[in-house]
Amino acid sequence: MNDLFAFISDPDRLPVIWANYVSIGAFVVLAILVWLIPRRLIFADAKDQAAWRDIRWWATALIALQLTIYATFN
Amino acid sequence: MHTLDLLIIIGYLLLIVFVGLRLSGKVNNAHDFFLAGRSLAWWVIGLSIIGTNIGADSYIGAAGNAYNVGIAQANFEWIGAIPAMILASLVFIPLYWKAGVYSIAEYMGLRYSQAVRVLAAAITVVVAIFAIGVALWAIALTLQTYLGWPIWLGIMVTGTVVGLYSVAGGLAAVAFTDTLQVIIMFLGGLIIVGLGISQTGGMTSFAETLIAENPTHLQAYLPADHEGFPWPAVILGLGVVLSPAYWCAGQAILQRSLGARSQWDASAGMMFAALGKSFVPLLVVFPGLLALVMHANLEYPDMALPWVIKNVLPPGISGLMFIAIIAALQSTIDSGINSTSLLITRDIRHVLMPNANRDNDLKIGRYLTIGILLLAMCIAPLISNMGGIYSFIQTMLSLFQGPMLALLLLGAFTRRATPTAGLFTLLTGVPLAAVIMASGVNMLYVAFTSFVYALAALWIVSGFTAPSTQDLSKLTYFPWLSRTTPGAPAAAEPQAPTGEPRP
Repeated sequence: MNDLFAFISDPDRLPVIWANYVSIGAFVVLAILVWLIPRRLIFADAKDQAAWRDIRWWATALIALQLTIYATFN
Repeated sequence: MHTLDLLIIIGYLLLIVFVGLRLSGKVNNAHDFFLAGRSLAWWVIGLSIIGTNIGADSYIGAAGNAYNVGIAQANFEWIGAIPAMILASLVFIPLYWKAGVYSIAEYMGLRYSQAVRVLAAAITVVVAIFAIGVALWAIALTLQTYLGWPIWLGIMVTGTVVGLYSVAGGLAAVAFTDTLQVIIMFLGGLIIVGLGISQTGGMTSFAETLIAENPTHLQAYLPADHEGFPWPAVILGLGVVLSPAYWCAGQAILQRSLGARSQWDASAGMMFAALGKSFVPLLVVFPGLLALVMHANLEYPDMALPWVIKNVLPPGISGLMFIAIIAALQSTIDSGINSTSLLITRDIRHVLMPNANRDNDLKIGRYLTIGILLLAMCIAPLISNMGGIYSFIQTMLSLFQGPMLALLLLGAFTRRATPTAGLFTLLTGVPLAAVIMASGVNMLYVAFTSFVYALAALWIVSGFTAPSTQDLSKLTYFPWLSRTTPGAPAAAEPQAPTGEPRP
């Protein structure tokens, strides 16, 4: 087990920029999954079906912000 | 301390006690006390979640860490929070809502067994009481630093103020005071950012000075061989395990979501909290970077925030910032005692004493709130003699959060996980994590390894043990199945909690 942790602790094998790529990839996958959730579940018992109540848009804005952060600070 | 600062502090303390006492008239039963009568709006939930999340470590510790490692500290607010908060908002909150539970332990009890429910509740209670003690100690230390109060007086005053509004108003008072506290935190934080950038010659000058003297301080991640925060450990341990376990299964965090006036408000509240969380580094990371750019030459990194308050903020505003720190710690304490009281009242007492009179839940919940607070107040002075207690709490969390998350994920997304396998995984996963940690492995890797073990153990043992006898349609999440598919959940129609009114 310690050999495994030594392997993933080697900065030559795992350069730090990969961390930004992994984060960006994870957020892109998350954005796709968010939009796969059926609309009827999002609005469940909402007062009305106004566009601003679709929290998938909120999630998308949030993910866009995170993508900007991880693309900038590298 | 300037008189204006002192007046602002006294005014704030009187205001939160007044809010708590005002809301006490609306507490008629345990449902009102623990879930605010399911009346909370999305924006109150969102701000309250942020308030609960920002604690002793966030405000003082994060600024100190940022002074040392730079913006990588913000990963605790970004990759270490946002994906899990989105998951909680869109998947787990609707699931808990549909199950009609008061707590995550109750969901575990329905999905697995009452033994798992009691075990999960007991572990959470023990860790929470120590965490409350740490927060009380941190407030007392802050009061001693700024006002010269002895530690015992700081603990007594804080305990009395938090106790008054928490016991009187229950979750509603906790959520509304948290909201007020977070507004103050952001106000104070933004003033520090504005004045700090102004004093260092503007944003460009700030960034250039920082990078020139500390080349890695504007990098989101640190190298794989970094001692404290190697990036693979941050992504695997924090992003994949600790963060989802905290945001999708943390009782203190999710209790206000379960007190929402509708499922939509509950989900939107968590998403709103995630939006706010993205900007929390401005409050907790920026002061550390500012101290560095302003060449504070600190003896200890944790002095970064106090140094900034003292050297950057004018009188009045420094009082406001002082309140922001106190508020951050208070919101951790009030949420902790309310949720711990709920877990003991319902998830431990109701299971171990099935014949106990449930009409007494409100009275018992209030007595427990006082009892937990008094216990934490007794523990608090001992914190200084138990130097590693905060590390102990973090270690405890990393030991059991891997197995807990595995139970939650396989419980929610499959029908395969069985009650016996759930208990077996929890009872073996935690000791295994302890053994790995004893071999000197980074805490974040321990969390990830125990999570992988727990997933495998739960999957395999479930293959040859008896399945749950519960109706799993309301306890599992299969949104893409047709509404008419036999056995599929009924399109997330919110269900009333057992025996409780829904407005």
